[in-house]
Formats: sequence, C-alpha cells, structure tokens
Amino acid sequence: MKRVVRKRGIVLVLAALPVLAQLVARAPQFQLTPLRGVDFVLRNSPTPRKYLIETMPGGVALLDYNNDGLLDIFLVNAGHLSNPLRSPAHFERDSPAYWNRLYRQNKNGTFTDVTVQAGLQHAGDTNYGMGVAVGDYDNDGFPDIYVTNFGKNILYHNNGDGTFTDVTAKAGVAAGGWSVSAGFFDYDNDGKLDLFVTRYLDWTPETSKTCGRTLEPMYCPPGEFGSTANILYHNRGDGTFEDVSVASGIAAKKGRGLGVAFADYDGDGFTDIFVANDAIEQFLFHNNGNGKFTEVALDSGAALNNAGKMPSGMGVVFQDYDNDGRPDLLITQLPHEPYVVFHNDGNKSFSAQELETGFGALSETSSGWGVGLEDFDNDGWKDAFIVQGHVFDNVHSYDNSLRYRDVPLLALNNHGHFERGNVGPTQPVAGRGAAFGDLNNDGWIDAVTTSLGDGPQFYLNHGGKSHWLTITLRGTSSNRDGYGARVQVNGQVRFATAAGSYLSSSDKRLHFGLGDNSKAEIEIRWPSGIRQSLRDVSADQFLTIKEPERK
Amino acid sequence: MIQVVFFLHLLLPLQAVAPQAADQAKALLQSGIDAENRKDLDRALVEFRKAAELDPSSSDVLLRLGDACMKKHDAAAAIAPLKRAAGLSPDSVPVQQLLGYALLAQGYAAEAIPHLEMARDPGALGIAQLENDEPAKAMANLQSALADDPDNPDLLFYLGRAATAAGSQATDKLLAAFPRSARAHQTRGQGYYQRKMIPEAVKEYEQAIAMGPDLPGVHLELGEIYAGRTEWPRAEEQFRAETTLQPGNAEAAFRLGEALLQEGKMKEAANELRRSDSLRPNMPETLYAIGRALAAADASAAEQALTSVLKIEQNTPLAAEADLLLASIHRKQGKSALASREMEDYRRIQGLKGQ
Repeated sequence: MKRVVRKRGIVLVLAALPVLAQLVARAPQFQLTPLRGVDFVLRNSPTPRKYLIETMPGGVALLDYNNDGLLDIFLVNAGHLSNPLRSPAHFERDSPAYWNRLYRQNKNGTFTDVTVQAGLQHAGDTNYGMGVAVGDYDNDGFPDIYVTNFGKNILYHNNGDGTFTDVTAKAGVAAGGWSVSAGFFDYDNDGKLDLFVTRYLDWTPETSKTCGRTLEPMYCPPGEFGSTANILYHNRGDGTFEDVSVASGIAAKKGRGLGVAFADYDGDGFTDIFVANDAIEQFLFHNNGNGKFTEVALDSGAALNNAGKMPSGMGVVFQDYDNDGRPDLLITQLPHEPYVVFHNDGNKSFSAQELETGFGALSETSSGWGVGLEDFDNDGWKDAFIVQGHVFDNVHSYDNSLRYRDVPLLALNNHGHFERGNVGPTQPVAGRGAAFGDLNNDGWIDAVTTSLGDGPQFYLNHGGKSHWLTITLRGTSSNRDGYGARVQVNGQVRFATAAGSYLSSSDKRLHFGLGDNSKAEIEIRWPSGIRQSLRDVSADQFLTIKEPERK
Repeated sequence: MIQVVFFLHLLLPLQAVAPQAADQAKALLQSGIDAENRKDLDRALVEFRKAAELDPSSSDVLLRLGDACMKKHDAAAAIAPLKRAAGLSPDSVPVQQLLGYALLAQGYAAEAIPHLEMARDPGALGIAQLENDEPAKAMANLQSALADDPDNPDLLFYLGRAATAAGSQATDKLLAAFPRSARAHQTRGQGYYQRKMIPEAVKEYEQAIAMGPDLPGVHLELGEIYAGRTEWPRAEEQFRAETTLQPGNAEAAFRLGEALLQEGKMKEAANELRRSDSLRPNMPETLYAIGRALAAADASAAEQALTSVLKIEQNTPLAAEADLLLASIHRKQGKSALASREMEDYRRIQGLKGQ
C-alpha cells in the first residue's frame, strides 16, 4: 500500500515538472545592472525648509534619438536649492552637476554621455527640473524632447544630426508655474502631435511652509497650497503651438496634476486624457471630437477608489490589463490605500477594482510613483512594474511602519489578477520616475527608474523562452509616431503612446508577449481612422508597420 | 478638587445647628451671623473668633467659625475649630461633613475619609478615596452619589478618573504579579500600540499568543494592528484565528471579511461578511462591505446590501460611499438613469458634508 502511494507521488512530481519548467522559463529574470557610461545622479538638494519641489523629481526617457535602432536614455536633473530660497529662484543649472543628461547607447551596450554634443547641457538657471516627454512633433522622423520644470518648460527640436535646438520661444510652450508630467498625443487626429502638461500646485518659495513637528518638520500636504490648471497645446503644424487650455475646456478644472496618460477609452476614435491628481478626485477628460473636452471622471466611475476615497494619484498608466480590448487605468499613490485600478467596463464607464485585481495586498505600506503595464514575462498578459519610495524623507519618525526608501514592485498578471513577482536583488531607493522599453533589443522589456539623490536603476530583463513581437508604427496620414493607434496582436491590445508613468517617457515601440505562439495576427486602427490587418506574422522580431495610404 | 470641596460645603444645612453658648458669646455669634447675612465675611470671622474664645466648648460656635473660614477659601484655618467641634459633638453630621471637606481640600484625603463616612456623603467620600488611591471604592461611592444626582458633572468627572485609575491599578497589579502571563503581554502590547510603537506591540502580542493561544480577543487586537498597517495576509491569519476561537463573534467575522476583501478574495470575504451579518444583523459597515465584495460577482445581492445601508444611513459618509458604489453597479448594468440618481444623492451628501 505504501509503495503505491509513493509511486503516485513520484508520478505527480514528474507530471508537474514541465509546468514548473514553463513557469520558470516565463518569469522575468530581472537583474539590477549598472550601465557602463551612465554616471548620472539626480540631485534634488533637499533642505531643512522642506520645499515641496525637492521631493518630486525627476523623469527619464527611453528614446532612439539618432534612429540607430538602439534606445538612448535622457535623464532630467533637478537643481540646487539654496537655504532659504529667494525669488527669483536660481538653481545653478549651469553647473554640470545639475545638467540634464543624454546618454547614447553604443553597439556594444555601453553608453556615451552626449549631452554637450547634443546641445542639452544647460536647462535654464531658473528652472528646477521635473519630467520629460518625447514625440516627433514636426513629423521629421526624429524624436523631439520636451522637459518640464518648476519654472519654464523647454522644447528641444531634434535636428536629426545628433543635435537639438531649444525652440521653446518659437513654439510657445514654456508654460510656467510648476509643471510635472507631460505627453505628446494627437487629440484632433490632424496628424500633428499636440502636447499636454500637468501642473501640480500654485506654489512658490514665498508661499512655501513646513508641517509636522517644530523640531522635525515635514513636507506639507498639497491641500496647504492652491490648486492649478493643466495645459493643452495645439500643434499648428508650423513649429508653433497654441495654448488651447481654456478653449478646449481643460483649464475649467483646477486640480493637483501629477501623472498623465492617454487612450481612447470609449472607442470613439478620439484620444482621451487621464490626469492623476494628488488627494482630490482624478480627472478623466473625455475628448468630444470637436476640439473640446469634458471632465467626466466622477460620473464615469474613474474619480474615486473602491472605498469612495480620493486617491493621492501620482503615476498613471492607461492600458488594457485584462485583454478585453478596452484601456484600463492603474494609478499609484500613497501607502495604506491600494494602488487604484479603474477597470474599463465599456458603456463609457469604469469600476474601481483594486481589490479584485489583488492590489489591496500588494500596495500595503509603499508609495508608488512611476508605473508601467508591460508584458515582462511575455505570457500575453501585461504585468505592472511600480517604482516606490515615500514622499517624506523623515517619514519613519512619523510612522515607523513606513519607509522613505523602498524597492520596486513587480506584479505579475495572472489572467487579470496580480501577484507579487521577483525583481531580483535590489537596493531600496527613493524611487520616482520610471520608463520601460527593450534596452538591449532581446525581446524582453526592461525598466529604468530614477531615485532622489541617487543614480538611475536599470532593471535588465533577461527573460526566458516565450515568444514576442515588437512593433514600430510609422504614421503617414496619422502622426508619424502613430501615437493614439489601437494595436491588437493575438487578442491583446496596446494603445500607442510614450506617455504615462510619472514624469517619464517610455520606448514608443509596442511590445507584445506571445507566449507559445510563434505567429501573430495584427489589427491596427490608426488615429486617421485607417484600419490595417497583418496575418501570419512571425514572432520574435522587431517589425515596422507603415500606415497604408487612404484609399 | 479644592474648589469642588468648597462648592460642596456651601450646600451644608447649617440651620440645623441650635445655638447654645454663653450669653456674651451668644451675642457675638448672632452678630457674626448677621454679618454673614450681609455678606460681610471678614466681620463675621472676627465675631465668630471672639465668640469661640469666650465659649471654646460650644461646638455651634466652632462650626460657624469653621464654615466662615471655608467660605473664605481658607481650609487650613477651618480645620482646627472643626476638629474641636467634632471632639465636642462627634455625632454632628454637619461638623463631620465640613471637617471632611476641609481636610480633603488641604490634601489630607486619608484623614477626611472617616469623617465623610460618618457624614454619609458618598460623593465627597468617593473623591477622597480616589485621592487616597482607592479607585475601586471611589467608583462605588461616586456611582452611589450619581444615583441621586445623575447629571452632576463633577461627580461624572471624578467617576471617569476613578475608572481610569482602577484600570491602571489593575494593570499595574497584573504586570507586577504576573509579568510573564499572556494577559501581561497583551496589556503591554496595547500600551505600545497606543504609543504607536508598532514593532514592540506586535512582539508583545505574539508572546501573548504563544503563551495563551486560546485567549479570546488577542488575535483580534493583533489583527487590527496588521490591518492598520495594511498587512492584510497577516491580518487575515489573526482574524481567522479569532473566528475559530469565537465563532459567534460578529466583530471578528467582520474583520476577517474586511481583510479578505482587501486581499481580493471576494467570494470568501462575502461569505464571512454574511456570517457576521447573521450574527449581528443590519450593521451598516458590514452591509457596505458585503456590497463591495459582491459588486463584481453578484450585482443583485450587492445592490440589495447597499440599499439596506441606505435605509439605515442617511447623509453620512457611509451613505455617500454606498451611493457611489450603487452608481457603479448600475452603470455596469447599463442602467444610466439609476446611476445618475445615485450620483445625485452622492453629490448631495458630499455637499451636506461641506456645509
């Protein structure tokens, strides 16, 4: 009798082995790897005065600025804060220590600092750096860079020869105040990328104050300062932009904008805007298709979390996590409330499903910032990667269950339910920005994160055996980047964008995990309305798809 | 406390004392009473002191003198004449009572107690016992006094203090006599938790559980600490242990349901929350949690639970949350008119909150 049981046990173990092997093969194999040649440090210069700007930077962009097929890295620096800070504030951005940096990827996987060569070395002495957006606003085939600041924002035109030119004044996109995240998208489907900029608070060094204990001050919550409006710039197509914030209805809603993400949530062919607001209702700007937007978050069920509370929204991603073809929202926020998941139910409505999706047990005591929904294990389901770290550098003295420095969260998607994954050995940091892309072109999505007072972290995904497909869109009638296109591969949908996360801009290429499928079927709905189908496409390749001419 | 004693002494019925002093002393006594009636306390004191010198054996004179001193808020001066009066008239309730007040006002609580016992004044006696570190006895007397004067804020204040002191005394005894007992660890855990020293609190609770795994309430308290830190799997473990120990405890079932809800285990959560609702029906928080647990899987049951919340709660934050969730359910069902109505209610309540 004992023998029989034992035999059965052996059989069961043997039967399980292929499954286990498959699981191991599919799990992302992250390795925190320093990239040779990248020596950047995000210098936020914290002061005892707890100026709120010092805890909010900084962004990272993954872009191929020279079109050599290799992703390059642009990192936004913050600046020096004097104590006290006097108006007009000067942040010593002329000092190399506080420059933004562009690192070109070499063919051997190392990086070269090309900041000076590219003409990106000085970001304006009165600008304290925040975030970055990337898009080819003039459709010349080279990605341009927009940098947000506390101060004036900067648009760098990519000249196509390895250099950039500051065209902010001509373009008319300097904004002002405290800009945070930004993103390029084409809201009127005219084939030219427009620009959206979130702004956080009506804050100045003069209105700054501290909260908490006298001898141990902390940053004040956002409610202590005035709210402000976001900005929408319409691309005129002649190298200039028009501020249409008021005319479009965007400025009608004042908030505390941090993250921004774009997708056509109701399938009407026009890209909508979601703004993650801090400690107030979130904003969902429905694109009415006539140049105007209506803020509909509350009535669409995308304003408050599962418990009816206002999230402290920070980073946001607007992609389809449950493969039902509709873009959902994942929003990072402060600890003791789960990261918010708004599931797109169709009918122009969302329902908060952070608990159903498992984020209630994943967020716990962490504060989330940059966030991505990418298929890190190429199993056909988008996973979440969230960079974490508390707002307050002294949070532990106020709540010893919380910590300033934290490790990122990898949440693996098991058919719409998320479970904690392994990011590999790592160090806790005060994480902020996060961008995602295939840095080494091996078919597995990597992550680059930023942290205050520290260098960037490179999580290289050494992957496994599943198949994948990476698509570069080339718009013709639509904007050249294809931003706003709805791309469906073997039933999975991605909405083309480099925006989302927090302060950051990801690889514009669209990555799909195919699991065991070595072939793919592709359906594209371009922003122009043109539909395109590709059948029997081989897996494991980088594919450029050009938008067909309108018939 | 002194002011309360002075206040209490004003209520004494001195009219009950009959003057029986020598004639001269009697005249001075009357003169003092007249001055007192004219609210000339200084004059009255002079007259009463002279009378007491002339007739030191008159307890009535001594009582008047002590009373005048107390009216002048000079308890120290009142004690000597009142003690002499008590020696002369040990059965006199006003003398014993006033002496008790004077001693209590001067901080001699232990000395005041026998006098107040003789005076049968449970309120003042309770205060004296509290001051004398006898909170249990104080609670009994103060409760007795409150039975006659239920809305007396001073008595309520001292009863509250006595209860706190009694609890503290019991805790001290527990910690001193049984420092390694499960209850001692639990008590220390509570103390650390109140001081927000969470790791220390958790350690104490874990030790309490190790020593007394079947003690009711300990798992619940530890679970609540974990829940407060949003450590839901650990919270679930503790709440589950509590529900095993106390299957009839609606609170434990509710907490377990909440933890399961936070972990996304919606079906299990709904079962546990329904069990809590059956143990203690119509708790709005339980019904709302049932609505949250079932919103995705069983819209009809969720709707029923949330509608029940709205029958119990009106214009409260919980009612607003129920409206919001109902709106979400209706939207999902394509019932846009119903969703709009719920959102209108939500906005109305939020508006009320803002006023």
